[in-house]
Amino acid sequence: MRLRKTLNDRLLGWKMSGGFRQTAVEIVERGSRNSMVVVGMTIIIVIVALALLAPVLPMADPTPSNLVPEERTLSPSWNHWFGTDELGRDIFSRVIWGARVSLLVATMAVVFSLMIGVVLGLTAGYFGGVVDYIIAGTIDLFWTFPAFLLALAFAAALGPSLTNVILAISVSYWAGFGRLMRGQALTVRERQFVEASRALGANNIRIMFTHVLPNCLAPLIVWASVGVADAITIESSLSFLGVGTQPPTPSWGYMLYRGIPFLEEAPWIATFPGVVLLITILGFNLLGDGLRDVLDPRMKGLRR
Amino acid sequence: MADLVSYVVRKVLLAIPVILLATFIVFLMLYLTPGDPIVAIAPPHASQAELQELREKYGFNEPFVLQYGKFLWRLLHGDLGQSVARATLNLQVSTLLLQRLPRTLELMGIGLTLSYSIGIPLGVFSALRQNTWKDRSVMVFTLVAYAMPSFWLGILLMLLFSVYLGWILVQGTVGGLTSIILPALTLGLGNAALTTRMMRSSMLEVTRQDYITQLRSRGLPEREVIFKHALRNAILPVITVIGLDIGWFVAGAVVVETVFSWPGLGMLITTSITNHDFPAVQGCILVLAIFVVLGNLMADILYAFVDPRVRLG
Repeated sequence: MRLRKTLNDRLLGWKMSGGFRQTAVEIVERGSRNSMVVVGMTIIIVIVALALLAPVLPMADPTPSNLVPEERTLSPSWNHWFGTDELGRDIFSRVIWGARVSLLVATMAVVFSLMIGVVLGLTAGYFGGVVDYIIAGTIDLFWTFPAFLLALAFAAALGPSLTNVILAISVSYWAGFGRLMRGQALTVRERQFVEASRALGANNIRIMFTHVLPNCLAPLIVWASVGVADAITIESSLSFLGVGTQPPTPSWGYMLYRGIPFLEEAPWIATFPGVVLLITILGFNLLGDGLRDVLDPRMKGLRR
Repeated sequence: MADLVSYVVRKVLLAIPVILLATFIVFLMLYLTPGDPIVAIAPPHASQAELQELREKYGFNEPFVLQYGKFLWRLLHGDLGQSVARATLNLQVSTLLLQRLPRTLELMGIGLTLSYSIGIPLGVFSALRQNTWKDRSVMVFTLVAYAMPSFWLGILLMLLFSVYLGWILVQGTVGGLTSIILPALTLGLGNAALTTRMMRSSMLEVTRQDYITQLRSRGLPEREVIFKHALRNAILPVITVIGLDIGWFVAGAVVVETVFSWPGLGMLITTSITNHDFPAVQGCILVLAIFVVLGNLMADILYAFVDPRVRLG
């Protein structure tokens, strides 16, 4: 996660003026002119659409109850685009259903991390003093700790299930958001409009969420996008190691794991889920990288 | 020099709470397991009496804080408990860890070397040909290599080298040096991509500085300017983060060792999770976490050593 760490440091202290709506409009306008954003977004839209439409698409059942022995390890063909696995299940359909799991876990984990990080970081940066000292210390502790190892520890202890994976990733990933949010809040709270709204009688909670938070939105969006890529990597690694999503629920990591013994005989079992996994991660990384360039031109020169 | 010493002392002191957090998380893991925590660390099919005995021994009847204190006390004496897996029943976890540790170090060492020997030349190459198609292809390569999940890369390499080309022995350590190449490459490629990017931007920054222009204007051969003067300065920020790479490698090792059945700590975690050998899982995670903390510490210190401004900050 070294890249992430340098990225996070650079996002710190980055200010965007304007509220929620203005930021959103700006992102769409400038983003559509950046090729990385466009390619990343296209990939994401295709994968998300396939995942959402999975129940209505004319595909084979990903977890059929009656398995036909003749259907085992068939190579890719018109009937089975990605071939079939060692039990005779259609890999294409399992990959698409697996996308639902990966995207669900990753999005939920990022949303929870974002919530923990924003609330703690905002509180620390806004109030300062002892509150900041305690919260910032906690954030730094978790920031130093490698997310994957922490997620592995939690997943191994809690036992494998979808909810536990989401929980494990959230607990280990929130510190990045916290750090970012705290840094932003520290600078924004000194600005005049904050003082002005305090003079008008707004309470702390109101100032924090309606004035400070919208000004920190842009870097949070960049971090959330690369966060989804990281969460997908962690989820698939956990499933690969057998502590993530449990069979028969199709999951990319576990499908790859099951494909290893069949590498010689049926290489497609382990190849196709990996291709889709890579493309998805690439999509979110491209979006994040592109958005960063778009939203903060100062950084463009720094990390060509 | 005095400021360097006080900086190092400060950083070392800051590493202590992180290590404590690691021990606390590892301790807490027992309580997160569904059901009675004692069952998680007891040998399979232990009788009620044996369970009671273990409870007394590990102090499970006492208050939580006291239990954690005892856990720390045992850790300080190198006691990580006993393995409860069938193959290694009652073996000290510390012994098990010490057996596996050299394997992981070996893999990480070769992986690091590979990633630097790929990343540094590639980054320099790319920077010297900025904005040409060669540069762009290197950048596309780094994007893909960085996004590539290590287990899938491992599978692809296995497929390519052993199944199609029939070259290298695939799994385990049977083949000696040849069998470590694939896992080390798998582990190192993501980091090689990062190193390439860092080396490239660092090189671009340095070659724009005045002293380089001055050297060129004095008529020094380009080769000498680049390799003798620019590279020396550009390589520093890339080398100092070597400590941070350890964190990356630790996480990667768990997955890569599992793919290649490489008998190190990472593989031990996976097999221990499957065998419900909880004390071994705890031990592995603790040791790997300490690795990462030490790696971060090393990065901080190296950085301060190279860049005196950091010490004052």
